[in-house]
Amino acid sequence: MTMAASRPRTLDPANLDPLQRWLAQAVDAERAEITRADLLSGGAVQENWRIDVAISGGPRAGSQALVLRTDAVARLPMSLDRPREFACIKAAHAADVLVAEPIAECAEKSVIGAPFTVQRLLSGTAQARRITRDPKLAEYGPALAREIGGQLARIHSIRPPQETLTFLPLPEPDAVGAAVAEMRRALDKASEPRPALEYVLSWLLAHKPASRPVSLVHGDFRTGNYLIEDGRLTGILDWEFCHWGDPREDLGWFCARCWRFGNDSLAAGGITTRADLLEGYNAISDTPINEAELAFWEILGAARWAAIALLQGQRFLTGGERSLELALTGLMPAEMEFDALEAIAALEAGRPIP
Amino acid sequence: MTTRRIDADALLDLATEMLRSEVLPALAPEQRYAGAMIANALEIARRALAEEVEAAEWTLLDGLYEEGEGSTAQLARDIRAGTLPKGKERDIADALRTLLIAELRVRNPRFLASRGIGG
Repeated sequence: MTMAASRPRTLDPANLDPLQRWLAQAVDAERAEITRADLLSGGAVQENWRIDVAISGGPRAGSQALVLRTDAVARLPMSLDRPREFACIKAAHAADVLVAEPIAECAEKSVIGAPFTVQRLLSGTAQARRITRDPKLAEYGPALAREIGGQLARIHSIRPPQETLTFLPLPEPDAVGAAVAEMRRALDKASEPRPALEYVLSWLLAHKPASRPVSLVHGDFRTGNYLIEDGRLTGILDWEFCHWGDPREDLGWFCARCWRFGNDSLAAGGITTRADLLEGYNAISDTPINEAELAFWEILGAARWAAIALLQGQRFLTGGERSLELALTGLMPAEMEFDALEAIAALEAGRPIP
Repeated sequence: MTTRRIDADALLDLATEMLRSEVLPALAPEQRYAGAMIANALEIARRALAEEVEAAEWTLLDGLYEEGEGSTAQLARDIRAGTLPKGKERDIADALRTLLIAELRVRNPRFLASRGIGG
């Protein structure tokens, strides 16, 4: 018999015994009984399961709603594997960052057929369009952005060396130079020349700011990668692009024009103004940042997304992946290049960037 | 009597219209994203029939190189190497912007509209 599943499944809801035994031992319980196991949507290259567990004995006794995640079958270049991402999440949790509490990890394949991690289930929505189109956004957007800014500052308070994060390579002292070199490598791999992106990269090199102390950078901090419920932040998601780097990179990515989901005039992730985000950030960070400084990093963010999209398109063109999503992403660099050129023109004319 | 042909443009137009009006609304929720992507791809393919992009490329290149000698690959290399004439940076940026607008008319006119640039 064949199943019509579009991707491989590991956890078998009909055979939960090995997982129950492992969980009981992982949380120092006498017994763990899984009362529900549902495959969640949203993981194209990995599996996310919601598991409800009745735990008897030990420090976590009671009913728990958890998320079990397997590693991705095919990861994007630069992304961390699940155990390393989990180590970053643990470091963030220890620094009081709002993340789904990391509970346990299993490196063995024997329990469910693949290594996995377990975190507490968070409530809320991460859907960017739902957030940016919420009629109540005007009420809660400013406070939400201040909260998000504060969370970013907490992430950035994690600085090397960290005993648990030794797998993260220390960056080159010249963060912008390294970022531009990486984007140029993407351009060299692409079969389509992109003179506009080359122009933006040369501009970035010619205008790079003085470097900052290195900190932990989330790497994909934008609307769509955090959860909110009733206008309040409930958690920050998707830590697989974590790295040591310049903290301003995260702020620029968050505000880059490509991540505003239809609310173009609300620069901070399509939810409010940059000022609100920076107010929250600067209230907690020991290295404050201003809007003028942020502009450079927004342009760098646009260039970075253009380079990533270009590589995605290349996977369609030459990688033999017949995915419409990859092909359409591969057509997107023109958008980010356009935004970057507009921002550069505004700066050169002495105007604030859009 | 003049010949009328059913050309690729009309076919794609029809296919997209049918997809949007008849197929998409009937799809199960988990198939709607794939359906929307197909409609998007068809529309891009249709607009790609226009050759505006190539025309904009030549306008850009002819302003910088001897006629017929430039290419976007050459321009990309020259920008990276910094070998283009000094003082022309703003002109080049403006020409690149024009080229991107031509590309985006095919790839995503809604994006251009969101940036205040109409058809």
